[in-house]
Amino acid sequence: MNQPRISESGEKFCQEVFAQMMEQSHAVYGVLISTVDGHDVTKRFKREMPVAKLSAMMGSVLALGETIAREAQQERCRYVIVENSDGFILTLKLKEKLVLTVIASADANLGLLHTLSRNAVEKLAKSLK
Amino acid sequence: MSEIKLIITGTPGAGKTTAIAAISETPPVRTDQATTDDLADLKEETTVAMDFGDLTLEDGQKVFLYGTPGQRRFEFMWKILVQGGLGLILLVDCSRDDPLADMDMYLENFADFIEETGVVIGLTRRDECESPDLDDFYERLDRWGTVFPILEVDVRKREDVSLMINALISTIEFA
Ligand SMILES: Nc1nc2c(ncn2[C@@H]2O[C@H](COP(=O)(O)OP(=O)(O)OP(=O)(O)O)[C@@H](O)[C@H]2O)c(=O)[nH]1
Ligand SMILES: [Mg+2]
Repeated sequence: MNQPRISESGEKFCQEVFAQMMEQSHAVYGVLISTVDGHDVTKRFKREMPVAKLSAMMGSVLALGETIAREAQQERCRYVIVENSDGFILTLKLKEKLVLTVIASADANLGLLHTLSRNAVEKLAKSLK
Repeated sequence: MSEIKLIITGTPGAGKTTAIAAISETPPVRTDQATTDDLADLKEETTVAMDFGDLTLEDGQKVFLYGTPGQRRFEFMWKILVQGGLGLILLVDCSRDDPLADMDMYLENFADFIEETGVVIGLTRRDECESPDLDDFYERLDRWGTVFPILEVDVRKREDVSLMINALISTIEFA
């Protein structure tokens, strides 16, 4: 498969960033990088979750978010947030072809999640090709 | 019936997005994203959630068309999109290695939906590849114990897409 792979050092850097995010907010229990067309790239999960399925779903959800924004004549979709009774799933574009997803329990502060994710995307975008 | 919802499915590159764009009266809704795998050799973008378009038939009947993603990993979208649907258009790309197997795969995955509704099969890219023969497709359908309409189409042409829709609607009406 001619899939986007990341180098060993890239992988290490991602893991460091993921660990920092989990450190900054203990509510965060999953961070995932996948491609816009739904393949998983790398992840850090504290609980077991179906990676391949989530990667495909996050691709769909983010694309729908962007499409809905366009249909409603709003500009640039920044995040898609799924808020559930026991947690949050926040997803956003990472560069052109990647997607970052942050999964957190309900005690997370949504504002903090925004900031964490935004900062992570900036850091990751700089170092991922 | 005031509105009819139809679903279009088939392999990546079979022409689902193209078909909806060719016939929709309003600008179609698309969710295409950059391809990052082997498919990138064939096309730059692929549908990751859905396509949507609408049209009005001669008798005033409103038709909503929903296109699915092609890849198996988006199977969850197939299940969401068929809800409330009244029929399926299955596009089979004849330029691929084994179009008959492709047809089987989608017939199998949409079997429950097809049983409740109806299906029309559209053979695409016939300009690039004339085989398998139309008879081979009918023979393969025999295994499914039913006959479904099979049409050779160029989904870039509005008339061809319209042909499939009309065939499907007659199939549903007389089922
Ligand atoms: N040569 C030829 N090209 C065709 C024909 N029908 C469609 N195409 C082309 O094939 C491509 C089909 O692409 P899409 O419409 O994006 O295919 P899709 O089924 O939506 O694919 P995914 O979204 O990736 O699942 C387009 O570039 C069309 O112009 C045909 O009959 N002959
Ligand atoms: Mg498509």
